[in-house]
Amino acid sequence: MTFFNASKNPSAAARPGESGGVVLRLSLRNARRQARDYLVYFATIVMVAALIYSFNGLIFSQEIRNLAAQMATLPMMIVLAGAVVIAIISWLVSYTIQFMLGRRSREFGIYVLIGLEPQQVARLFFLENLVVGGCALILGVLLGNLFYQILRAIVLSLFGQAYTFSFAFSPGAVGLTFLCFALIYLFAQLKSRRRIRSMKIHDLLCFDRQNEEAVICAGKKRLRIFTLSLVSGFVGTLLLMAGSPLLGLIGAGCVIVFLYGFFLSFASGVPAYFHKRPEKKYRGQTLLVFRTLTAKLATMGTVMATISLLFTATLISEGSGLIFQGLFYGRVRENSCFDIMIGIADLRQDHGDYLEYLQEYVPIKSQYQYEVYRGENAQVQAYLQDNTTYYTYHDRDLVMAYSDYASLRRMLGYPEVPLEDGQYLLHCRTYLEKLLTKYTYSVPLGGQTLSPGGVHSEPLGQYGWDVNGSDYILVVPDALAELCPINHRLYVAMTAEPLCEDQYNRLREIRKKRSEYSDYDNIIVRAQEEREAAAMTAMTVFPLYYLALVLTMTSATVLTIQLLSESSRYRHQFRLLEKLGMDRREMTVTLRKQFAFYYAMPALPPLLIGIPFIRNLAMSPEPGILVGTSSPAAIIATAVGLYLSIYLLYILLAYNSLKRGVFPE
Amino acid sequence: MLEVKNIEKYYGSKNNVTKALDRVSFQVADGEFIAIMGASGSGKTTLLNCISTIDTVSAGDILLDGENISQLPSRELARFRRERLGFVFQDFNLLDTLTVEENIGLALALNHIPPHKVQEQVSAVAGKLEIKDILEKFPYQISGGQKQRAACARAMVAGQSLLLADEPTGALDSKASKNLLEILTKMNRDMGATILMVTHDAYSAGYAHRVLFLKDGRLFNELLRGDRARQIFYHEILDVLALLGGDISDVL
Repeated sequence: MTFFNASKNPSAAARPGESGGVVLRLSLRNARRQARDYLVYFATIVMVAALIYSFNGLIFSQEIRNLAAQMATLPMMIVLAGAVVIAIISWLVSYTIQFMLGRRSREFGIYVLIGLEPQQVARLFFLENLVVGGCALILGVLLGNLFYQILRAIVLSLFGQAYTFSFAFSPGAVGLTFLCFALIYLFAQLKSRRRIRSMKIHDLLCFDRQNEEAVICAGKKRLRIFTLSLVSGFVGTLLLMAGSPLLGLIGAGCVIVFLYGFFLSFASGVPAYFHKRPEKKYRGQTLLVFRTLTAKLATMGTVMATISLLFTATLISEGSGLIFQGLFYGRVRENSCFDIMIGIADLRQDHGDYLEYLQEYVPIKSQYQYEVYRGENAQVQAYLQDNTTYYTYHDRDLVMAYSDYASLRRMLGYPEVPLEDGQYLLHCRTYLEKLLTKYTYSVPLGGQTLSPGGVHSEPLGQYGWDVNGSDYILVVPDALAELCPINHRLYVAMTAEPLCEDQYNRLREIRKKRSEYSDYDNIIVRAQEEREAAAMTAMTVFPLYYLALVLTMTSATVLTIQLLSESSRYRHQFRLLEKLGMDRREMTVTLRKQFAFYYAMPALPPLLIGIPFIRNLAMSPEPGILVGTSSPAAIIATAVGLYLSIYLLYILLAYNSLKRGVFPE
Repeated sequence: MLEVKNIEKYYGSKNNVTKALDRVSFQVADGEFIAIMGASGSGKTTLLNCISTIDTVSAGDILLDGENISQLPSRELARFRRERLGFVFQDFNLLDTLTVEENIGLALALNHIPPHKVQEQVSAVAGKLEIKDILEKFPYQISGGQKQRAACARAMVAGQSLLLADEPTGALDSKASKNLLEILTKMNRDMGATILMVTHDAYSAGYAHRVLFLKDGRLFNELLRGDRARQIFYHEILDVLALLGGDISDVL
């Protein structure tokens, strides 16, 4: 049937002189058919082309590069991610082409049978794929322009700049996208070309009838591999979480061993399980569901393992992306409530040099200079160390005068808080608030004993060294504070407009000059922190999401191609079941179960590996940074949600398509 | 047991109507083995499909044990098929992913037979059809004849009262065909199965008690075997086919 679709007059193909035209005509016709039959694949390739183009657009955009000095390394990061994307998409294209080759080898056999030379058939298939790839590329570049605008809008918003639409067709990006596609197709085509040319007519005609080989059958061997793979998976996940690069690498190896071992041995393990428990096998739809699953696993165990591996990488990429994003912005949030904050630890020095520059060149709205003092002991610090993960920078609790505290609150627009005589206040970062609320001990200072007067946790610049405390600070009456030794001096200011990169660099130059004869000062400029976070996000988070997206789409496409190509087998199965008296409701339940198991199998191991890994990674930064929407739980939920939502989209598409094709009307 | 009353079946649209069955009526008694013969396009498979409720009749009634199956709602039809009818097809229609035992057990699972009884019942029927030693094998590991015996086992394992066979020997060589027909005869004779077999092979039809001949959707003739030897009955069938005309090539 395929043959007649392809050419109404096949004998013409053999006529010398005309064969080139026929090959071209056949290729075009087959390309159209291929795009229709493998719609999911075609759509994925279009999407991938669009993604590649849009990211390439970022590489060639001067506008993006000018946003911050750090953005100069963005092209390198995108090229690195792009190299991985090319490798993955090459696999997808190569896999799909090999798959189509298997399915259509009979058709190619007939072409050879009626007189086309194997080289011509190889050329025909090559042209066909070239047309499909070319169309996908053109559509992808067009769609990619839209994607690029979205990316551009996101990057500009990261840098707090207004987005205005400006159509930018980048010849460089188009060229690079073409080059990527050329590499992808060249690799895939070489393989299939070699295969067609070396096959004999009989091989081509009978290729689709060959039985696929079950991978592992022997009971003991299977059980051993299955057990070993589980152990390897467990050990691998632990090693991945260990935090050391070498152990992480070994862990990744163990995880790969687990996935391949698991999928290759699992397929034969399930029948063995049911063989021993026949009463379970014949319950409900179990028989049909488990047999379909094991048949699939037996023939595509390696593919399933590869897909599972890609999914694991997806989840880890998404999780890491979210963690980095949370980390960059968490640090900005904790660091930069003031537009400028300069801490000086060398008590022989003051802020004079900085102030000189700032008064002249930066429009200041409000400013304040004050000191932070050393308390008499480290009792609050000891309490924190006993009860939570707390990194210390000082050997005493730090103390601030109430009047300074009140001034800072006014600058930041926070409500006034009273301090009664004989009391102290605690101001801390949010992650310590709950714990410090339970702190009811009195604090000795200047011969008096102060009792707790309350805990506050609005952002106050308490993260880092020489800032307002060290994650927490005690606020005490002015008279008592002044009795304590000074720990460091601070200057904070709010400006009329954000400091530009040049102004920040000027402050750094002043510091550099001062550092020749004093300790290194701590300069925190909010606008610069935000710029750096935006640049870091663009450079690390974007490539990770880019990878994650491509990985999910590739894996889901391979699964869907496999499943949809089996529509006729499923149709046959349900037609027979209908004849045998299975009602429609039961058939729907069976199909859904078969479907759910098929898609769940490669998706579950990544969750088992990815979730502990992401959790561990999210717990590693200093405390108080990954909180709220960036808390480890929220990051896991978002990463899993993102991963599953794209996957679900493919599942729904495949299910609808399969259901339409399978159930008899 | 089965009563087919004046059934008609039309295909096509308003302007182009094909009459596949034209006022066909006959009765099948309990325990009978009937063959339906006819040339390609004579309506044999349509008739079988209507009886098996896979297709619906345009007019007329089909009664099985007094129940009018042409008026059953679709949910009831499914139940009716799995409880009362057994099918044997030309291309076996075994599921590739199931073993022979599971293919047979599937009919029981669909009938919600308690799972622990399934193996026992499959084993019993497999013993009778001499396929016990291939129960663990997959369809691609066994011969055509064995596949067809497995299909027979599936068709009767759940105690179905009527076995419908559509060209059961169509894909078998002569030795396997003979073997299968003997199995069908055994099922009919020893296990009391009522069999309705569609075939265009006179040799296969010779195993039946009665042969109905269809031509252009109408019942053309009916032959009863009675006490005659199978060889003689076979020749009588050939004679009728010769009368039907144009089908000699099918028979020889």
